[in-house]
Formats: sequence, structure tokens, C-alpha cells
Amino acid sequence: MDKLIIAGKEFTSRLLIGTGKFASNKLMAKAIEASGTEIVTVALRRVDIENENDDMLSVIDRNKYLLLANTSGARDADEAVRLAKLSRAATGINWLKLEVTPDPYYLLPDPVETLKAAEILVKAGFIVLPYINADPVLAKKLEDVGTATVMPLASPIGSNQGITTRAAIEIIIEQSNVPVIVDAGLGLPSHVAQAMEMGADAVLVNTAIATAADPVAMAKAFKFAAEAGRIARLSGPAKAGDKASASSPLTGFLRGSEND
Amino acid sequence: MAVLRINGKEKVFDGSLPATLSELLITLKVDAATVVAEVDGEIIEREKFDSFYLKEEQSIELVRFVPGG
Repeated sequence: MDKLIIAGKEFTSRLLIGTGKFASNKLMAKAIEASGTEIVTVALRRVDIENENDDMLSVIDRNKYLLLANTSGARDADEAVRLAKLSRAATGINWLKLEVTPDPYYLLPDPVETLKAAEILVKAGFIVLPYINADPVLAKKLEDVGTATVMPLASPIGSNQGITTRAAIEIIIEQSNVPVIVDAGLGLPSHVAQAMEMGADAVLVNTAIATAADPVAMAKAFKFAAEAGRIARLSGPAKAGDKASASSPLTGFLRGSEND
Repeated sequence: MAVLRINGKEKVFDGSLPATLSELLITLKVDAATVVAEVDGEIIEREKFDSFYLKEEQSIELVRFVPGG
């Protein structure tokens, strides 16, 4: 399959995996492996100094997977920039999934603060992958300030509703000069295949895998879906039509006689 | 009194403060290798934990990576 290139770096897999909500770190590691992903997202939070803390990074092979820290929890640009700098200090890498979600019910991203933070972070040397609503104008503005991708949402985070923003995502894909990664709300492998068939460059999935009854098998299903959708896109999908178009020849059937 | 503000909460130490950031992490039983520290709003690089001396009433943020999308 053709390579995905983000900020000059090549990836074979077009499926990014979020690490939240897995029942255990061990299960998470197995699902990551099964998904074939090369990019995994993580969040930054305060250490609980009263209790013991699990080190999730101990199960992620940093030579194999690019760690993409997110700024989840940030409610405005200032908080996002602060989280970004802490993340960079922690990992030594400057890749960042920028998300600014002040609304706790739908976790919809704030476009104004996201654009503001993106501008600051790009100038500070970060490779910024911004999580946004499916807004073509915002996507263009982010590209203009130098983000490495845009990540429009399919539907609200963790909702598993699939692609409810189809028309807007199609415009973003058509207009974008940076990779478009469809993120959030992709609940089934078929949703992922759909996004890839539409021409998305990649997808990010978390909840649908982590909360499946068998996350490892589901990760594999998503891997195949991303691959199938990409191959389909590159293969030039056939046109849809209103009427039937016979797949079998309509001539030479065993009815009547050619000598009649 | 030996007091630091850690992750938004006051923490009182018996006797004196841990001398350095490294010592504080040992006292709190937190693995330094997995933590990022901010003291009074300034990020302290991990290599400097040993030589970063603490003062009364400083505000310390200790953060680490957790699973997330």
C-alpha cells in the first residue's frame, strides 16, 4: 500500500490508535500490536501522590510506535500550550495532538482557541495535529498556520455513531494539502472503511476498540478496514446508479430460439 | 513549617523539606523516570531533578502520561 506521510515522516499503517479505556495495560499493548498501528495517542495528567501509579509507557515500545501526546483536558489555548510543553519535556518529541474541548457534554473542540494554540505551537517548533469539528474553513486556516494534518471529527468522541459529518469531511478532503485524519466517533470497521473510501488519509480509533468485548480481535478488524478502504479509494470506485445494470450478459439466454 | 503545594494540594512534611526534587519523588514513592515536573510554572528537565533544590511554599506540579485518545 502507498505510504502515509506526515511532516516528512513515512508510515505504512493508516490507523492511529488511542490508548484510553482499555481494561488493562496488557490488553492495550496486545490490541495496539494487532492493529498494526505506528502511532498511539496518550494523555497527560497529574500524578496521584496518595496512590500508586501505573506506568503505561512501560508496555509501549517507543522504537516501534510514535507517541502522540494529546492536550485533552485543555479548555483554552493557554492550557493547551502548557500541556504541550510538559509533554515535550516528558517525551523529548515534538509531535502533538492538539485538542481544546471546553464543553464537557459533547467534547466538541473550540475552533478559536484551537487555531490560536496551533499558531503558537507551530512557531514553537511543534508538529501539530489538531482535532477539529468538520469545518472546511477552519481546516484551511489551520493548514495556513502550518499544522501537519487536520483531524476532523466523524461524530462526538466515544459516541460510536460513525460519520455524521460526511459532506463537510468531503470538502475538507477535497481542499486539504495536508493529510486528513478522521478522528472520533468511528464505531465500526465499516465506518473506517467508509472514511478511507472517501479519501481520508488516515483514521484514529480508540473507544470502539478499547470497549469491544474482544479488543484484540476488533483491533485486527479495524486494521483490515483501514487497508480495504485505502485500496478501494486508490482503485477508483465504480459509479452508483439509479437503475440496475446487469452483471451477467443479457444475451444468449435459454428462452425461445435464435431460429424462430 | 515545611510545606509544599503539590498538584494543587498543600503537603506538610515532618521536620524539613526534602532537599531536592529527586528526594521529594523518593519520599512520595514516585518513579522519577515517568514524571514531568513544573515548579512555580517552570518546567524542570529530568536531568536537573538531582540538583534542583526546593524552597518552602513552592508550587509543584507532577504529571505523567496516562492512557488517552
